[in-house]
Amino acid sequence: MAAETTTTEVRVRSRARHEPWLDRMVLPTLVVMAVVVGYPIVYTIALSVQNYNLLDFRPAAYVGAANYTKLAGDPIFWGSLANTAIYTFGSVGVSALLGLALALLMENLGGARFRAIRALLLTPWAVPFVVVAFLFRYMYLQNGGVINAVLLSTGIIDAPVPWLNSSTLALPAVMVANVWAMAPFFFLLLSAALSAIPNEVIESARVDRAGTWGMIWHIKLPFLRNPLLISSLLMVISNFNDFAKIWAMTQGGPGYSTSTLVVYVYRLAFERFEFGYASAVGVIWLTMLMVLAWIYMRVLRMESR
Amino acid sequence: MKPNLQSSRAGWLSPGNIARWVAIGFALLWSLAPIYWMLSTSFKTELEAARLDPTLWPEAPTIANYSGLMGTSLPFVSFFVNTVMSCLLTAIVCVVIATPAAYALSRARFRLAGTVGYAILSFRMLPMVVVLAPLYLLLLNAKLLDSGTGLVVGFTTFGLPFAVWMLKSFVDAVPIEVEEAARVDGYPRWQILLKVVVPLIMPGILTTGTFVFMEAWNNLIYPLTFITTIEKQTLPAALVLTFTGQFKTDWGGMMAAATITTLPLMIAFFAVQRSMVRGLTSGAVAGA
Amino acid sequence: MIRFDRRGLRLATISIAALVAGMGGAASAQDKITLTFANWAAAEGTTRPGIEKVIADFEAANPEIDVVSEAISFSEIARQLVLRARSGNPPDVAQIAGNDTVLLAFTGALEPLDGYVKENLAANLKQGADAGLRDDGGLFAFPWNQSPAGFWYNKEIMQKAGLDPNKPPRTIDELTAALAAIKSSQPDVIPLAIDTTNRAFALSSNWPWMKSFGAVPVGEGATGAESAEMKAYLSWMRKIAQAGYIDPGRRIGEFRPLAAQGHVAFIWDQVLLKGVMQGASKMSDDDFYKTWGVTTLPAGAGKPTTFEGGHQLVMFASGKQKEAAWKFIEYLATSPDAIANYTMSVNSSLPSIKATGKAELDAALGTPVFKAFSDEIIPTLAPQPYGPDFAAAATAIMAGVQEAVTGSQPIDDIAASIQLGLPQ
Repeated sequence: MAAETTTTEVRVRSRARHEPWLDRMVLPTLVVMAVVVGYPIVYTIALSVQNYNLLDFRPAAYVGAANYTKLAGDPIFWGSLANTAIYTFGSVGVSALLGLALALLMENLGGARFRAIRALLLTPWAVPFVVVAFLFRYMYLQNGGVINAVLLSTGIIDAPVPWLNSSTLALPAVMVANVWAMAPFFFLLLSAALSAIPNEVIESARVDRAGTWGMIWHIKLPFLRNPLLISSLLMVISNFNDFAKIWAMTQGGPGYSTSTLVVYVYRLAFERFEFGYASAVGVIWLTMLMVLAWIYMRVLRMESR
Repeated sequence: MKPNLQSSRAGWLSPGNIARWVAIGFALLWSLAPIYWMLSTSFKTELEAARLDPTLWPEAPTIANYSGLMGTSLPFVSFFVNTVMSCLLTAIVCVVIATPAAYALSRARFRLAGTVGYAILSFRMLPMVVVLAPLYLLLLNAKLLDSGTGLVVGFTTFGLPFAVWMLKSFVDAVPIEVEEAARVDGYPRWQILLKVVVPLIMPGILTTGTFVFMEAWNNLIYPLTFITTIEKQTLPAALVLTFTGQFKTDWGGMMAAATITTLPLMIAFFAVQRSMVRGLTSGAVAGA
Repeated sequence: MIRFDRRGLRLATISIAALVAGMGGAASAQDKITLTFANWAAAEGTTRPGIEKVIADFEAANPEIDVVSEAISFSEIARQLVLRARSGNPPDVAQIAGNDTVLLAFTGALEPLDGYVKENLAANLKQGADAGLRDDGGLFAFPWNQSPAGFWYNKEIMQKAGLDPNKPPRTIDELTAALAAIKSSQPDVIPLAIDTTNRAFALSSNWPWMKSFGAVPVGEGATGAESAEMKAYLSWMRKIAQAGYIDPGRRIGEFRPLAAQGHVAFIWDQVLLKGVMQGASKMSDDDFYKTWGVTTLPAGAGKPTTFEGGHQLVMFASGKQKEAAWKFIEYLATSPDAIANYTMSVNSSLPSIKATGKAELDAALGTPVFKAFSDEIIPTLAPQPYGPDFAAAATAIMAGVQEAVTGSQPIDDIAASIQLGLPQ
C-alpha cells in the first residue's frame, strides 16, 4: 500500500502541475496515512503468508497460501462472516427505518417543547458503546434483569427469556441494543435532510393534493435518498468494526452465535496469538471491504450523473 | 395532509394527532427507559442492584456509588482528563490535516482524485483489529506506547480518512464561484482556503470534529492495547478494567461510572448539535 | 495523567529530581534500582490499597529499590505480557495466573527461578504448590498465593429444602436430587452457580466438573470430546439447565452478590468468595460459618478434583535487576506483612508457604473456611493441560458447553463440533 501511495502521489503531481498547492495540500494526509495505515497493512499482508505464533520462539516461517486454504475450510470463519453481515446490515437497516419514522413523526414540530423532545430522542446516540453494552447486558439478565421482570409482571411471558444465553436470541438481542444506540443518528441526519427540502416542492405537491403517504413516497423519499446512502455507509463501516458492544455483552457467545469477524480475529490474534492466521483473515476481510467501497463509489457516481 | 400538532385547525384530539402523540410517547419510552435504568441503578446499593426482583425506584437511594468512584484509589478524574484530552487532540489533528486535503481533492480536476478518494474511503473501512499488532510495534519503536500521544496516533488511523472523506463533501457543496473573485485577485490557494472556504464550511468542520471525537471516545481496543499504566487509561477502557475484575460484578458502581462516562459525551453532543444539523444540511445531505 | 507536553514533562522531572536531591534522601536518584511490576492487583479497587501498602512497605525496607507498579487488568495481562516480551520491553516482575502463566513460559521469556529459591524456602513451600509450574528449564513461576475452588453450600437453604445441612452432596446423583429439592421448595433461589462464559478461565473452572464424569477432552490421556464420559457431562449440563437449576452465561463474579443475599444454594467458587460476600452483606464471621460451608466437588465416575485459581509471580529473563526482582517476589509471597496486608486480607487467598512466621496469621488459617480449603480441598488440586492448545481448546469446549446449556442441538452433534474445534 505504501508503494501505491507514492505512485499515486507522483501521478497526481504530473497531472496537476499547474497547481502545485493542491497536491501539497494532500501531502500531509498521505504521509500520515502511509505511516499509520499503509505500513500496518503491508505488515499484515506479510504476516498472512507466515506461520507466526507469538508464543512460539522459533522464527516465523513462510508457509505460502497455507493460511488461506485453512481459512477456506474454517466453519467458524464463514459463520463469523455471516454474523458480521447480519449484524451490520440488519442493524443499519432497522436503524435507518426507525430513524426515518422518527424524522417523519417529528417533522414540522417547532417550539421549545418539541426541541426538548427532539433532544431527548437523540440522547441514546451520545451514550458510549461500552456503556450501551454494559447497560443492556444488565437489563438482559435472565434472572434479575429488568426486561424479563417487566415482561413477566405484565404477563407477556411466563418464564424468563434467556436473551443473551440462547444461540438463537443472542444476536438479535445484541442488535436491538445496537439499534437503540444508532437509530438517533439517522433521526438527526434525516431530520436535517427533511428540513432542507425546498418549500416550493412541498407546496406544489400540496396544490396537487398529494396524500400523506403519497407525499412521503413520491416527494420526500427521493430527497432523502442521498443522505440515506451516505449515512448508511458511515454506519455500515462503523458496525463492521464494532468490537466494544459484542465483546462486552457476549464475547461472541453462546457458542459462536454472536462471533463477528472482529471478535474472531481478536480471539485468534490475542487469545491464541496466531498472528499469521489472524492476518490472513484480516486480509480477506479487507479485500471484501474494498470491493464494497468500490461498489459504493460506483453507485454514488452513477447517482451524480 | 399530514396532521399538524401545532395548528388548531386540525384539532388536538383528531385520530391522526392522537396516533402521532402515542407514537412519540413510545419513541420517548424506548429512548429513555434504558437511560433511566442506568441512572436509577447508579443510586442503588450493591445488593439492591443485584436483586433477582429488580426495584424500579431505588429503595434506599445512596450516592455511595458516586462517592466511591471519586474517593477510591482509582483515579477517575485522571481517566476523565485523559479521555477528553486525547479525543479532543485527535479531533483537532485530524481536522487540521484533513481540511487542506479535502479541499484539494474536491477542487483538483485530475482524474486520480477519484482513486485517491477511493483509497481514503477503503482505509476508512480498515478493520481496526487487523492492524492492531503492527500498530503496536510501530508505537513501540517510536517510544510512544503508554502515552497520550501514542493513543492520538492510534485514533488518527480511523479519524483522518474519515475526516478527509466527510470534509470533502462539505467543500463540494461550496460553489466554485465563491472563490473566483479571490482567484482573479491572485490570492494563492492556501489563502483562499483559509479566508474563503474555511469560514463557509465551519459548521461542517465542527460536525466532522465531533464525529471524530465521538468515535475516539467510543474506541475500546486501542486504549486497552496501547496504554499499560492505569493512571493513563481512558474512561471506557477503565470501565471495562475496573468493573469486570476477578472479584465481583458491582452493577451499581458500574452504572455510576457509566453515567460519568456518558455525561461529557452528551454535553459535547448537545453543545454542537445545532451547528451539526446546519453542517449536515449543507454538506453530506445536500451534496453527495 | 497523560502529559502531552514533553518539555513540560522533562521540566517536571528535573524539578522533582532537584527537590529529592535537595532533601537529601537516603539514596540519591542515580543509584536507585527501579523495578517494574505488572499486575492487576493495582487495577482493581478491592485490592489496590492493599498492594500499594505492600509495595510501600517493601520500598521502606529496601530503600535502594524503587518499585513502579503497572496496573493491567486481569483479562488483558497475558496479551500485554506476551506482546511486550516479544517486542523486547517486558516488566521485571509480573503477576499472572492459570493458563496464562504457562502461555508466557512458552515464549521462553521467563527466568528460571530454581537458583533463587533457597533451601529453607523450598522446605517451607506447601506440597504441590509448584505443581504445573515447571518445564524442562525448571521452575518458571513462583506461587504467590493459593486459591483453589471449593463447593460452597448454603446450610439454611438446604435445611429449608428438607436436606441435611451438614451433609453436602458427595456424588453427582446426590447433587441432582438436592438441586431438584431446592428448586421445588424455593423458586427464588438459583440452585447452582457455575461460570459458563466462554473464557479460558471458564474451562479451568469447569474442568474439574468434566473430570467428575471421567471426561478428559484434551491433554495427557485425553479421550476427546466425543467420549461417552464427555457426552454424559454435556447431557447432565443440559438437563440441569433445562430444569432451571443453573443461570447460564453469568460470570462467576455476578453470582457473588446474589449468594451474599442468600439467593444461591451451591456455588463452585474460590476462597475469596467469603470476603466478597461478607463485604456486601456485612455478615459476621460466626453467622457466616453458621450459614455457609465448603467442601470438595461432588464426583461422579471420577475422583473429586479442583483447579488452582491462585496467582503466580514471574521474572523476565531480559531484566537487568534480577537479584532485586527476586527479593521483591520473595517479599510478596512470603513476608508476614505482605501475607497479612494482601494475600489473606484484600486478596482473600491462602499463602503458598506452610508457616507464615506469625502466630495470628497461622491462627487465622485455622478458621473453618481456610481450614477446609487447606485440609480437604487443596489435596484434590489437579494440574490442567495448560499451554497454547488449552486456550484454543477453551474456546471450542466452552462454545460447546454453552450450546448444550442454551441450545437444542443434539448432544452428539455438539460433541462432534467440539472435537472439530480442538487443536489437532
